[in-house]
Amino acid sequence: MVIRIAAVGDVHLDQDVVGRFRPALEELPDTADVLLLAGDLTRHGTESEARCVATEFGGLGVPVVAVLGNHDYHCDEVPAVIRVLEDAGIVVLEGTNVVLDCTGVRLGIAGAKGFGGGFAGRCASEFGEPEMKDFVRTTSAISEQLGVALREMDCDVRVALTHYAPVPDTLAGEPPEIYPFLGSYLLGQAIDSAPTELALHGHAHAGSERGTTPGGVRVRNVAHPVIKQAYSVFHLHPPYAGATAGKVSAVSASGIS
Amino acid sequence: MAKRDAEAGAEPPDDYLEAAIQRLLTENTEIAEQGITVTRRDHSVVLCGEVESAQRREEILRLVLERFPQVPVTVDIGLIRTQAPTEVEELR
Repeated sequence: MVIRIAAVGDVHLDQDVVGRFRPALEELPDTADVLLLAGDLTRHGTESEARCVATEFGGLGVPVVAVLGNHDYHCDEVPAVIRVLEDAGIVVLEGTNVVLDCTGVRLGIAGAKGFGGGFAGRCASEFGEPEMKDFVRTTSAISEQLGVALREMDCDVRVALTHYAPVPDTLAGEPPEIYPFLGSYLLGQAIDSAPTELALHGHAHAGSERGTTPGGVRVRNVAHPVIKQAYSVFHLHPPYAGATAGKVSAVSASGIS
Repeated sequence: MAKRDAEAGAEPPDDYLEAAIQRLLTENTEIAEQGITVTRRDHSVVLCGEVESAQRREEILRLVLERFPQVPVTVDIGLIRTQAPTEVEELR
Protein backbone atom coordinates (compact mmCIF):
# COMPACT_ATOMS: atom_id res chain seq x y z
CA MET A 1 0.00 0.00 0.00
CA VAL A 2 1.54 3.31 -1.08
CA ILE A 3 1.19 6.24 1.31
CA ARG A 4 0.79 9.60 -0.43
CA ILE A 5 2.10 12.57 1.52
CA ALA A 6 1.65 16.18 0.42
CA ALA A 7 3.79 18.77 2.17
CA VAL A 8 4.73 22.45 2.15
CA GLY A 9 6.27 24.84 4.64
CA ASP A 10 6.89 28.56 4.96
CA VAL A 11 3.63 29.75 3.44
CA HIS A 12 3.68 32.89 5.66
CA LEU A 13 -0.02 33.59 5.42
CA ASP A 14 -1.82 36.86 5.99
CA GLN A 15 -4.90 38.36 4.34
CA ASP A 16 -2.96 39.15 1.16
CA VAL A 17 -2.20 35.47 0.50
CA VAL A 18 -5.58 33.90 1.27
CA GLY A 19 -6.93 32.10 -1.79
CA ARG A 20 -3.59 31.69 -3.62
CA PHE A 21 -3.07 28.07 -2.54
CA ARG A 22 -6.69 27.01 -2.49
CA PRO A 23 -7.17 25.92 -6.14
CA ALA A 24 -4.22 23.52 -5.85
CA LEU A 25 -5.32 22.38 -2.39
CA GLU A 26 -8.75 21.41 -3.72
CA GLU A 27 -7.03 18.61 -5.69
CA LEU A 28 -5.63 16.98 -2.56
CA PRO A 29 -8.39 14.43 -1.86
CA ASP A 30 -7.57 12.82 -5.23
CA THR A 31 -3.79 12.95 -4.92
CA ALA A 32 -2.76 12.63 -1.25
CA ASP A 33 -3.67 10.88 2.01
CA VAL A 34 -2.46 13.71 4.24
CA LEU A 35 -1.08 17.26 4.02
CA LEU A 36 1.86 18.17 6.26
CA LEU A 37 2.70 21.82 7.00
CA ALA A 38 6.35 22.37 7.98
CA GLY A 39 6.02 25.56 10.02
CA ASP A 40 6.05 29.32 9.36
CA LEU A 41 2.39 29.14 8.57
CA THR A 42 1.85 32.80 9.45
CA ARG A 43 3.69 36.00 8.61
CA HIS A 44 4.58 36.81 12.21
CA GLY A 45 2.46 34.73 14.50
CA THR A 46 -0.75 36.66 15.20
CA GLU A 47 -4.12 35.12 15.93
CA SER A 48 -5.63 36.92 12.90
CA GLU A 49 -2.97 35.45 10.61
CA ALA A 50 -3.74 32.01 12.07
CA ARG A 51 -7.34 32.55 11.00
CA CYS A 52 -6.05 33.05 7.45
CA VAL A 53 -4.22 29.71 7.73
CA ALA A 54 -7.42 28.10 8.99
CA THR A 55 -9.34 29.53 6.03
CA GLU A 56 -6.76 28.40 3.48
CA PHE A 57 -5.88 24.97 4.91
CA GLY A 58 -9.07 24.01 6.75
CA GLY A 59 -11.79 21.72 5.41
CA LEU A 60 -9.62 20.19 2.68
CA GLY A 61 -11.01 16.66 2.75
CA VAL A 62 -7.66 15.21 3.86
CA PRO A 63 -6.11 15.33 7.35
CA VAL A 64 -3.79 18.32 7.85
CA VAL A 65 -0.92 18.00 10.33
CA ALA A 66 1.36 20.94 11.15
CA VAL A 67 4.28 22.12 13.20
CA LEU A 68 4.90 25.78 13.96
CA GLY A 69 7.94 27.77 12.84
CA ASN A 70 9.91 30.70 14.22
CA HIS A 71 7.59 33.22 12.50
CA ASP A 72 4.62 31.66 14.29
CA TYR A 73 6.32 32.42 17.60
CA HIS A 74 7.19 36.07 16.94
CA CYS A 75 4.16 37.78 18.53
CA ASP A 76 4.00 35.50 21.58
CA GLU A 77 0.49 34.38 20.65
CA VAL A 78 1.32 30.69 20.26
CA PRO A 79 -1.58 29.31 22.37
CA ALA A 80 -4.09 31.41 20.40
CA VAL A 81 -2.49 30.43 17.08
CA ILE A 82 -2.68 26.73 17.99
CA ARG A 83 -6.29 27.07 19.18
CA VAL A 84 -7.38 28.69 15.91
CA LEU A 85 -5.64 25.99 13.85
CA GLU A 86 -7.06 23.16 15.94
CA ASP A 87 -10.55 24.65 15.71
CA ALA A 88 -10.16 24.35 11.93
CA GLY A 89 -9.30 20.65 12.30
CA ILE A 90 -5.55 21.07 11.81
CA VAL A 91 -3.46 18.85 14.10
CA VAL A 92 -0.55 20.83 15.58
CA LEU A 93 2.45 18.81 16.79
CA GLU A 94 4.87 20.28 19.34
CA GLY A 95 7.11 17.40 20.37
CA THR A 96 4.10 15.13 19.99
CA ASN A 97 2.76 12.63 17.48
CA VAL A 98 -0.37 11.44 15.75
CA VAL A 99 -1.16 8.13 14.04
CA LEU A 100 -3.50 8.22 11.05
CA ASP A 101 -5.19 5.27 9.40
CA CYS A 102 -4.45 5.43 5.67
CA THR A 103 -6.63 2.68 4.23
CA GLY A 104 -5.28 0.07 6.60
CA VAL A 105 -1.73 1.38 6.98
CA ARG A 106 -0.95 3.19 10.22
CA LEU A 107 0.94 6.39 9.33
CA GLY A 108 2.71 7.86 12.35
CA ILE A 109 3.78 11.50 12.23
CA ALA A 110 5.99 12.98 14.94
CA GLY A 111 6.55 16.71 14.82
CA ALA A 112 8.43 19.52 16.52
CA LYS A 113 9.46 23.01 15.52
CA GLY A 114 13.11 22.26 16.19
CA PHE A 115 15.71 25.01 16.68
CA GLY A 116 19.24 25.99 15.67
CA GLY A 117 22.70 25.04 16.84
CA GLY A 118 24.49 23.81 13.75
CA PHE A 119 25.88 20.56 12.50
CA ALA A 120 28.58 18.12 13.52
CA GLY A 121 31.97 19.73 13.74
CA ARG A 122 30.55 23.24 13.40
CA CYS A 123 27.96 23.39 16.13
CA ALA A 124 27.23 25.35 19.26
CA SER A 125 27.98 23.74 22.63
CA GLU A 126 26.29 23.99 25.99
CA PHE A 127 29.14 26.02 27.43
CA GLY A 128 29.88 29.55 28.56
CA GLU A 129 27.33 32.31 28.97
CA PRO A 130 23.83 31.47 30.24
CA GLU A 131 22.38 32.71 26.92
CA MET A 132 24.56 30.28 24.98
CA LYS A 133 23.68 27.38 27.24
CA ASP A 134 19.98 28.24 26.99
CA PHE A 135 20.24 28.27 23.19
CA VAL A 136 21.73 24.78 23.02
CA ARG A 137 19.52 23.40 25.79
CA THR A 138 16.45 24.55 23.86
CA THR A 139 17.51 22.52 20.84
CA SER A 140 18.46 19.54 23.00
CA ALA A 141 15.09 19.51 24.75
CA ILE A 142 13.10 19.81 21.51
CA SER A 143 15.19 17.09 19.85
CA GLU A 144 14.72 14.81 22.83
CA GLN A 145 10.94 15.28 22.59
CA LEU A 146 11.03 14.56 18.87
CA GLY A 147 13.01 11.35 19.41
CA VAL A 148 10.59 10.10 22.05
CA ALA A 149 7.59 11.06 19.90
CA LEU A 150 9.04 9.07 16.98
CA ARG A 151 10.03 5.99 18.99
CA GLU A 152 6.87 5.64 21.05
CA MET A 153 4.45 5.46 18.09
CA ASP A 154 2.73 2.16 17.37
CA CYS A 155 2.49 2.42 13.58
CA ASP A 156 3.62 0.97 10.25
CA VAL A 157 5.28 4.07 8.75
CA ARG A 158 7.06 6.90 10.59
CA VAL A 159 7.43 10.43 9.24
CA ALA A 160 9.26 13.23 11.07
CA LEU A 161 8.04 16.78 10.57
CA THR A 162 10.09 19.80 11.68
CA HIS A 163 10.52 23.42 10.74
CA TYR A 164 14.29 23.61 11.30
CA ALA A 165 16.58 21.36 9.28
CA PRO A 166 17.94 18.07 10.68
CA VAL A 167 20.81 17.86 8.16
CA PRO A 168 23.01 20.35 6.30
CA ASP A 169 22.40 18.66 2.91
CA THR A 170 19.13 20.49 2.33
CA LEU A 171 20.69 23.85 3.22
CA ALA A 172 22.90 23.90 0.12
CA GLY A 173 22.38 27.34 -1.39
CA GLU A 174 22.19 29.12 1.97
CA PRO A 175 25.26 31.03 3.20
CA PRO A 176 27.29 28.52 5.29
CA GLU A 177 27.69 31.23 7.95
CA ILE A 178 23.99 30.98 8.88
CA TYR A 179 23.72 27.16 9.02
CA PRO A 180 23.72 27.23 12.85
CA PHE A 181 20.52 29.32 12.68
CA LEU A 182 18.85 26.96 10.22
CA GLY A 183 18.99 23.65 12.02
CA SER A 184 20.77 21.19 14.24
CA TYR A 185 22.33 17.75 13.97
CA LEU A 186 20.47 16.90 17.20
CA LEU A 187 17.23 16.77 15.20
CA GLY A 188 18.88 14.36 12.76
CA GLN A 189 20.07 12.23 15.65
CA ALA A 190 16.50 12.10 17.00
CA ILE A 191 15.18 11.08 13.58
CA ASP A 192 17.81 8.35 13.32
CA SER A 193 16.85 7.02 16.75
CA ALA A 194 13.70 5.48 15.23
CA PRO A 195 13.01 3.59 11.99
CA THR A 196 11.90 6.77 10.24
CA GLU A 197 10.79 6.58 6.61
CA LEU A 198 10.95 10.27 5.69
CA ALA A 199 11.87 13.58 7.35
CA LEU A 200 10.34 16.83 6.12
CA HIS A 201 11.35 20.36 7.08
CA GLY A 202 11.19 23.97 5.91
CA HIS A 203 12.85 27.22 7.11
CA ALA A 204 15.73 27.29 4.60
CA HIS A 205 14.25 29.38 1.77
CA ALA A 206 17.43 29.33 -0.28
CA GLY A 207 18.25 25.71 0.45
CA SER A 208 17.77 22.64 -1.70
CA GLU A 209 15.29 19.80 -1.79
CA ARG A 210 17.08 16.55 -1.05
CA GLY A 211 19.30 15.08 1.62
CA THR A 212 19.72 12.12 3.96
CA THR A 213 20.51 11.77 7.63
CA PRO A 214 23.71 9.97 8.67
CA GLY A 215 21.43 6.98 9.37
CA GLY A 216 20.08 6.96 5.82
CA VAL A 217 16.66 8.56 6.33
CA ARG A 218 15.54 10.59 3.34
CA VAL A 219 15.18 14.30 4.14
CA ARG A 220 13.22 16.79 2.04
CA ASN A 221 13.15 20.57 2.40
CA VAL A 222 9.59 21.56 1.50
CA ALA A 223 9.90 25.31 2.11
CA HIS A 224 7.61 26.97 -0.41
CA PRO A 225 10.37 29.08 -2.02
CA VAL A 226 12.37 25.87 -2.54
CA ILE A 227 9.67 23.65 -4.06
CA LYS A 228 8.11 26.55 -6.05
CA GLN A 229 4.67 24.94 -6.17
CA ALA A 230 1.71 24.77 -3.78
CA TYR A 231 3.01 21.54 -2.22
CA SER A 232 5.10 18.52 -3.09
CA VAL A 233 3.76 14.96 -3.09
CA PHE A 234 5.79 11.96 -1.94
CA HIS A 235 4.73 8.36 -2.48
CA LEU A 236 6.08 6.05 0.21
CA HIS A 237 6.37 2.48 -1.03
CA PRO A 238 6.65 -0.61 1.18
CA PRO A 239 8.60 -2.26 2.67
CA TYR A 240 8.80 0.54 5.21
CA ALA A 241 11.74 1.33 7.48
CA GLY A 242 11.52 -0.82 10.58
CA ALA A 243 9.82 -3.65 8.69
CA THR A 244 13.26 -4.33 7.18
CA ALA A 245 16.74 -3.42 8.34
CA GLY A 246 16.25 -0.10 6.56
CA LYS A 247 16.21 1.07 2.97
CA VAL A 248 19.96 1.23 2.54
CA SER A 249 20.47 -2.30 3.86
CA ALA A 250 17.56 -3.59 1.80
CA VAL A 251 19.07 -2.21 -1.40
CA SER A 252 22.50 -3.64 -0.54
CA ALA A 253 21.00 -7.03 0.22
CA SER A 254 19.16 -7.23 -3.09
CA GLY A 255 22.34 -6.12 -4.86
CA ILE A 256 24.33 -8.93 -3.27
CA SER A 257 21.74 -11.59 -4.04
CA MET B 1 38.31 60.29 -4.03
CA ALA B 2 35.87 58.64 -1.67
CA LYS B 3 34.99 62.02 -0.20
CA ARG B 4 34.28 63.52 -3.62
CA ASP B 5 32.10 60.51 -4.51
CA ALA B 6 30.24 60.87 -1.26
CA GLU B 7 29.56 64.53 -1.95
CA ALA B 8 28.33 63.60 -5.39
CA GLY B 9 25.99 61.04 -3.82
CA ALA B 10 27.80 58.21 -5.59
CA GLU B 11 29.45 56.51 -2.62
CA PRO B 12 28.86 52.76 -2.77
CA PRO B 13 26.61 51.49 0.02
CA ASP B 14 28.62 49.95 2.83
CA ASP B 15 28.32 46.83 4.94
CA TYR B 16 26.35 48.62 7.62
CA LEU B 17 23.69 49.69 5.17
CA GLU B 18 23.38 46.11 3.91
CA ALA B 19 22.90 44.87 7.47
CA ALA B 20 20.44 47.65 8.28
CA ILE B 21 18.22 46.82 5.29
CA GLN B 22 18.35 43.10 6.04
CA ARG B 23 17.27 43.68 9.62
CA LEU B 24 14.59 46.17 8.61
CA LEU B 25 12.97 43.64 6.29
CA THR B 26 12.95 40.98 9.00
CA GLU B 27 12.13 42.99 12.10
CA ASN B 28 9.47 45.30 10.65
CA THR B 29 6.36 43.23 11.28
CA GLU B 30 4.61 44.66 8.23
CA ILE B 31 7.26 42.82 6.21
CA ALA B 32 8.76 40.02 8.36
CA GLU B 33 10.74 38.63 5.43
CA GLN B 34 13.92 36.69 6.16
CA GLY B 35 14.35 35.41 2.63
CA ILE B 36 15.33 38.63 0.84
CA THR B 37 19.00 39.00 0.02
CA VAL B 38 20.52 42.47 -0.05
CA THR B 39 23.40 42.72 -2.50
CA ARG B 40 25.59 45.75 -3.11
CA ARG B 41 26.32 46.64 -6.69
CA ASP B 42 28.55 49.49 -7.84
CA HIS B 43 26.17 52.28 -7.04
CA SER B 44 22.98 50.64 -5.86
CA VAL B 45 21.51 47.96 -3.67
CA VAL B 46 19.71 44.99 -5.24
CA LEU B 47 16.90 43.33 -3.29
CA CYS B 48 16.47 39.77 -4.49
CA GLY B 49 14.22 36.88 -3.47
CA GLU B 50 10.66 35.63 -3.61
CA VAL B 51 7.58 36.60 -1.63
CA GLU B 52 4.01 35.34 -1.26
CA SER B 53 2.14 38.34 -2.70
CA ALA B 54 2.59 41.37 -4.96
CA GLN B 55 1.57 43.60 -2.05
CA ARG B 56 4.56 42.36 -0.04
CA ARG B 57 6.94 43.19 -2.86
CA GLU B 58 5.52 46.71 -3.10
CA GLU B 59 5.66 47.16 0.66
CA ILE B 60 9.31 46.10 0.76
CA LEU B 61 10.25 48.68 -1.87
CA ARG B 62 8.15 51.39 -0.21
CA LEU B 63 9.69 50.79 3.19
CA VAL B 64 13.29 50.68 1.98
CA LEU B 65 12.86 53.87 -0.08
CA GLU B 66 11.21 55.59 2.87
CA ARG B 67 13.95 54.61 5.33
CA PHE B 68 16.93 55.04 2.99
CA PRO B 69 15.84 57.71 0.50
CA GLN B 70 19.42 58.43 -0.63
CA VAL B 71 20.11 54.85 -1.71
CA PRO B 72 19.36 53.76 -5.30
CA VAL B 73 17.46 50.49 -5.02
CA THR B 74 16.85 47.81 -7.63
CA VAL B 75 14.11 45.30 -6.84
CA ASP B 76 14.31 41.81 -8.31
CA ILE B 77 11.72 40.05 -6.18
CA GLY B 78 9.43 37.42 -7.66
CA LEU B 79 6.18 35.80 -6.54
CA ILE B 80 6.38 32.16 -5.49
CA ARG B 81 4.23 30.03 -7.75
CA THR B 82 1.31 28.16 -6.17
CA GLN B 83 0.27 25.72 -8.88
CA ALA B 84 -0.50 22.08 -8.02
CA PRO B 85 2.45 19.75 -8.65
CA THR B 86 2.53 17.93 -11.96
CA GLU B 87 4.89 15.21 -10.71
CA VAL B 88 5.27 13.20 -7.53
CA GLU B 89 8.45 11.81 -5.99
CA GLU B 90 8.39 8.03 -5.65
CA LEU B 91 10.33 6.95 -2.55
CA ARG B 92 11.08 3.23 -2.63
